[in-house]
Amino acid sequence: MNLDAIHLEHVSKRFRLGAAHDYGRLTEAVAAKVRGLFARKRTNKQAEAIGSTTPGHNLVHMVAGQPSTVAGQMEDDWFWALRDVNLTVKTGEIVGLVGRNGAGKSTLLKILSRIVSPTEGRVGVRGRVGSLLEVGTGFHPELTGRENVFLNGAILGMSRADIRRRFDEIVAFAEIDSFLDTPVKRYSSGMAVRLAFAVAAHLEPDVLIIDEVLSVGDQAFQRKCLGKASQLGDQGRTILLVSHNLSAVANFCRRAILMQNGCVIADGQPDFIIDRYLMDSNAGAGEVIWADDATAPRTSGIRLRSVAARGNGTSQPCGELDIDQPIEITVDYEVLQPQEKVSIQIQLKDETGTFVLWSANAPSMNSGHDPWFGQTHQPGMYRSRCRLPANFLNDTRYFVSVLIGESIGAPALRQDSALSFLVHDTGAMRREFTGSWVGPVIRPRLDWCTTQIPSRLDSSGL
Amino acid sequence: MQYFGPTDVFGFGQLRDVWRSRELLYSFFLRDLLIRYRQVLIGVLWVLLQPLIGVGIFMGLFFVLETNATSPNVAYAPVVLTGMLCWQLVSNSFRDATGSLVNYRHVVTKIYFPRLLLPLASLLCASFDFAMGSLLIPIVCWFSQTPIVWSTAWLAIPIVLWLILFCAGCIAWLSSLNAHYRDVGYALPFALQLGMFVSPVVYDIHRLQHVLTSRWVWLYEANPIATCIGLLRWALIGTAMPTAAGMGCALVITVVVCISGLAWFQRADQQLADRI
Repeated sequence: MNLDAIHLEHVSKRFRLGAAHDYGRLTEAVAAKVRGLFARKRTNKQAEAIGSTTPGHNLVHMVAGQPSTVAGQMEDDWFWALRDVNLTVKTGEIVGLVGRNGAGKSTLLKILSRIVSPTEGRVGVRGRVGSLLEVGTGFHPELTGRENVFLNGAILGMSRADIRRRFDEIVAFAEIDSFLDTPVKRYSSGMAVRLAFAVAAHLEPDVLIIDEVLSVGDQAFQRKCLGKASQLGDQGRTILLVSHNLSAVANFCRRAILMQNGCVIADGQPDFIIDRYLMDSNAGAGEVIWADDATAPRTSGIRLRSVAARGNGTSQPCGELDIDQPIEITVDYEVLQPQEKVSIQIQLKDETGTFVLWSANAPSMNSGHDPWFGQTHQPGMYRSRCRLPANFLNDTRYFVSVLIGESIGAPALRQDSALSFLVHDTGAMRREFTGSWVGPVIRPRLDWCTTQIPSRLDSSGL
Repeated sequence: MQYFGPTDVFGFGQLRDVWRSRELLYSFFLRDLLIRYRQVLIGVLWVLLQPLIGVGIFMGLFFVLETNATSPNVAYAPVVLTGMLCWQLVSNSFRDATGSLVNYRHVVTKIYFPRLLLPLASLLCASFDFAMGSLLIPIVCWFSQTPIVWSTAWLAIPIVLWLILFCAGCIAWLSSLNAHYRDVGYALPFALQLGMFVSPVVYDIHRLQHVLTSRWVWLYEANPIATCIGLLRWALIGTAMPTAAGMGCALVITVVVCISGLAWFQRADQQLADRI
């Protein structure tokens, strides 16, 4: 039981920046040489561009409040996705990996599942690794469900005898028995995903790697999947889970690892690690300030200065707010050159990443009046305020993303989860009900009224 | 505890991995086979039709041109059929294997398995076609009244295995190079067109002998494809054998291509997911 299942020794992984566009062509090599002559002047600009212009490039995301650390991961044209990671996982441990986008979680999983090789260091795994980096990989649309089960099972590392033995179980799990001999291209996406996960769930590897797969399927199916995974855990298999669903990590894992900028920065009890993650990832003070000109998120004409949450009427930002008080979210920004239009938007997400709301200061979305919307902004400091009504949010933690741009559809600046705040239950809505409010994303006070109406029998005129 | 990474410079460890996951190889092979004939009207008959049509076209061509592509006492049909079958083995495996890694990029970048399996599955598929097509040989021989030399016919098996081995070495190079430089995929069709005429596919080596003279014929036969086709015809219908010098060169080239292909594939494999 105490054998090591996973062993990482000084593992680092380096990516070439811009490698997504670089196919190593001869013409590009020549062009790169020419560009190299001018490169020195642009080094600063490049560092900024990485954060804002590569949204699809999930390796490189600006980290709120610490954009300078991304620069710390960069070295000339190289980006260190992982840096000197040492990790040992014992057999039978269920480990959750948490961290922001770009912290290196997925790279670590890819190295563990052998898809990419580390630049430095060495990786060892005891037994067979099953990775669920993406379910349904290798499904061929022309093949029938039955054929795909065999193909996909084989790709995931099952023997044909294994698959044959567990075939009925897999089909029952996926709930698609009547479509077994239909080509997968005629399946609904839900059916295909269910079948894919069913194959993966019956893999029974020694080390199971799960990356965000639990977000597929409907609620009932998700529960089934978690059940299956914990069943595997009970059998003494090692499981590594990456999820932004912190409650899944807290409930499911017995150990958690916090990653930041390619390094493991904390390792321990899930509750402790999740708290640490939440503390790190946002200012507990209810305010994030970018005082330094160089590190503040910016577009060509606007620089984001601060995001803050305040309780009703108080001028002091606060990270913990009462449920029965209106909440004010303010965005301070500096206009650097005259801007014809500036629109400020906020997005609210909860801990599980569920999108709660999205609002902008446009008149049609505004119950009040914003005199600056659509006006030319002269250089200077501005503050946009958004007020969330009292008795509207639930007692949980919310994450605020700020989007700034000329038009609402295409924000030029996006600061994901810039700020978080915790809403406290003050008991204002608990006079009649003392049970749990866990689950709903919002908890508004709504207009209820009961009246007595004539009964059906009376109105039918008999 | 098993540590990842190459175990030896030449990549012989890959062969062990391939052997361990032979069931997956079979699955890939089955998949390629199945999807090829989905939504196809006459299905597997295409395997027989393609070489037969080839034979018909070249027989017609040389009949119209009133020239002989073979030595005078040898029937043309079995000669061109063996050539066509071998050439289809080469060209189909090269074509499918070259694209195999790139076409399954979505799998290669998500799950680990010995990557060599993908090009090898294409090779297996082409070999399957060859096996099916070779059923035509006795039939065509019977029609053209060419007796099959039964005493040497069994040698056809090691000869074809040699050709398959050479193809394996080539596709290890081609598939991994194509993953890094797509130029390979563009250049290949031209190379295959050229190769068909540089190899004795539609003619007999002996028609070239007085042009090449004995001084240069070994160079021509150093091409393992040419040697294998020549040997196969010798084994089945008793045309003259390729020269010993030519066969020796072809053998050396085959071994070099296979070992270097394996070593290169392992090197390319290390960066595959990053660069594909």
